[in-house]
Amino acid sequence: MSSVRAEHMIGARRWLRQLGVLTVKELRQLWRDRALFIYIVYIFTGQILISGGEMISELHHAQLLVRDGDRSAAARELIYRFREPYFQRIGEAGSPAAALRALDTGRATVVLEIPPGFGATLNEAREPAVVQLLVDTSKANLGYLASSYAMRIGAEFGGERAAARLSERGIDPGTLPAIENRARMWHNPELAEAWFSTISDLLSMMTVACLLLPAAALVREKERGTIEQLLVSPLAPFQIMFAKVLSMTLVTLLGTAVSLFVIMQPLFAVPARGSLVLLFALTALYAFTVAGLGLAVATFARNIAQVGLLVFLLVMPIIMLSGTHTPFESMPGWLQNLMSVSPLRYFIEIVYGILLRGAGLRVLWDSVLAMAAIGAALFALGLWRFRRQFG
Amino acid sequence: MNLRRVWAVAHKEWREIVRDRVYFLLAFILPPVLMLVFGYGVTQEVENVPFALIDEDRSALSRDYAHHYISSRYFDYRGQLTALRDADRLLADGRIVVVLVIPARFGEELTAGRRVVIQTLIDGTFTARGRTVLGYVQSINAAAAGDLQARAVMRRLGIGPAQAEVLLQPVRVEVRYLYNQELKSIWGVAPAMIMFILILTAPLLAALSVVREKETGAIYNVYASTISRAEYLAGKLAPSVLISFLNGMVLWLLAIWYFDAPFKGSLAFFLPATFVYVVCTSALGLLVSAVARTQQAALMISVILAVVIALSFSGMITPVSSLTGASHLLAQLLPAMYYHDLVLGAFLKGVGWRVLGWEVVVLAGFAALMLWATWALFRKRTRQ
Repeated sequence: MSSVRAEHMIGARRWLRQLGVLTVKELRQLWRDRALFIYIVYIFTGQILISGGEMISELHHAQLLVRDGDRSAAARELIYRFREPYFQRIGEAGSPAAALRALDTGRATVVLEIPPGFGATLNEAREPAVVQLLVDTSKANLGYLASSYAMRIGAEFGGERAAARLSERGIDPGTLPAIENRARMWHNPELAEAWFSTISDLLSMMTVACLLLPAAALVREKERGTIEQLLVSPLAPFQIMFAKVLSMTLVTLLGTAVSLFVIMQPLFAVPARGSLVLLFALTALYAFTVAGLGLAVATFARNIAQVGLLVFLLVMPIIMLSGTHTPFESMPGWLQNLMSVSPLRYFIEIVYGILLRGAGLRVLWDSVLAMAAIGAALFALGLWRFRRQFG
Repeated sequence: MNLRRVWAVAHKEWREIVRDRVYFLLAFILPPVLMLVFGYGVTQEVENVPFALIDEDRSALSRDYAHHYISSRYFDYRGQLTALRDADRLLADGRIVVVLVIPARFGEELTAGRRVVIQTLIDGTFTARGRTVLGYVQSINAAAAGDLQARAVMRRLGIGPAQAEVLLQPVRVEVRYLYNQELKSIWGVAPAMIMFILILTAPLLAALSVVREKETGAIYNVYASTISRAEYLAGKLAPSVLISFLNGMVLWLLAIWYFDAPFKGSLAFFLPATFVYVVCTSALGLLVSAVARTQQAALMISVILAVVIALSFSGMITPVSSLTGASHLLAQLLPAMYYHDLVLGAFLKGVGWRVLGWEVVVLAGFAALMLWATWALFRKRTRQ
């Protein structure tokens, strides 16, 4: 009995040693390819650094051209309220044609037109004093933001005038019913963009790397025929595949640790409110899942060029439509259903959940389960295809 | 430069691409598939935001107020909660994004003409969405509160609704949306996708075509032949430019026919501009091929480069005017931003050479610079 057990032990130990050797071989290959290695270092450091400082989802420096046909004190005061950092006044337009030209060329995003008699209408208070705003909406989000800020400025300006006018007519504005809505931002009270953008960029980079590198590594062996050498060696197909996944998982874990502890936390004060152990464990699961997808892809490709195009076909929808670059709820239902097979869809919830929302397994279990199921299915598919091709 | 040699390289390259059926098919299928998926999926509109309510007042006024939010198409009402603790949990889970908390005695205080403070909890994890939702909440609140005030003023001064409105809100901002009157997201997304998709595939095609020869050793034939560096690179560039340009046409057709985006400009401007852009993005790929030695590295570098440029520095997701510091500068130094302006100008604004000619010149300059750099870095002799 015991000798059988000992044999099993030796077998298991050898199996693990073989896996270790193969994994080290994969890591060495990465390390030796200098261009690739430097680039991997860059995506976990430099790229995260850039993304932390890159984006402001608020209106910022929208170029404003003014056409003041009134030139009253009230008009000047209103114009003055369109200011930095939201609007940048770039001057006055002489004529409507000049204003349109500035919008055409993209020199101006917004044109504020104050018609003659604006100040007088405002003083009489018999009808609303109207100003016109021309907004370039060829970039829809910018146009929407600009118009909503402008309306808010108009409302504030008007509200102050109204208070004075009401007092004149014997109503104390303080005695009118009013609702003040104090909105509080949870999980990111100051709405620090870097908290969102560094994490989102890290996830994107990680996804591309985990999908692409194992797939390219496997196809390279196929292309060069070195896979045949591995197959005639006493290695199981599972070991050959698993070593590639394992090495990529290690690289991802290391890269995540570097970008989290060297860039995101010290430079951008990104919090880690949940358990870091859980975060890294689930990062490993994610890397495993995506690498499984990469290997499955590699079994369908004959050369690296095919891998590249197939990866694009998968990775771009995964990155763009899983919820960071596009609001998920706004997508049509069929696409939401389609994206429910994207592992990133769940990993986004997990990472933002652990880091920003302080969530634990009790809250995240369904995302974890879904991701694990997808990972197992992909890996099984990859292994099955691999065995069929080379078995 | 001997054109016959360029032709020979290009011809050989083209043959190689056509013979690899899968690759050839993918090169032409990938762009329209991405266009279709992104055309439906990529939107900047924030809608159907999961929304929950805690109403501690349960009066007619509080129901009336909450209804303003519930009936908004921006919010997706998921029901009432009883305790703040539940709100906590659902916000942590990401299942609910907005919780409106109406305090007790809300109706009573308002009827007495007092100021009431209410609270809205918004999940700020996705900052852009959080900010947009904040804007929605503020404007819905302003409208609801404005209604109440108008009614109070009407009652106390005995005036009509129109007059009360002027009294309370004397300034009106009338917005005219130019170029995209109905703010249709797809009108902006479909043209931008031409920029986006062409920067994804073109560098990949060009980069791999050179590095493949490096890796298999076929490039030694080139080293040993009389062909010059410039001739070789031009021959490598041509098929990639051709494929990408054809793809550009297909995407253009999809944008105007399938997604009904208006094309107000002229093809006499759009076609040459797209050609220059495609040369530019293919040249980027060649530049990658000068640095990378393995296909794996070339693939990785060109894929990530394309993703980063297209997502962060093109102006498609974040307007370039909203970028700060180094990123703002970087966007100016990359080609995507210029073509983004070009393609939107040609589609929605109907402007051409006179207005956007300079952008085309800049793109051509980029292409020339990158081709020159590739030429300078490319060695016909391996370094020791």
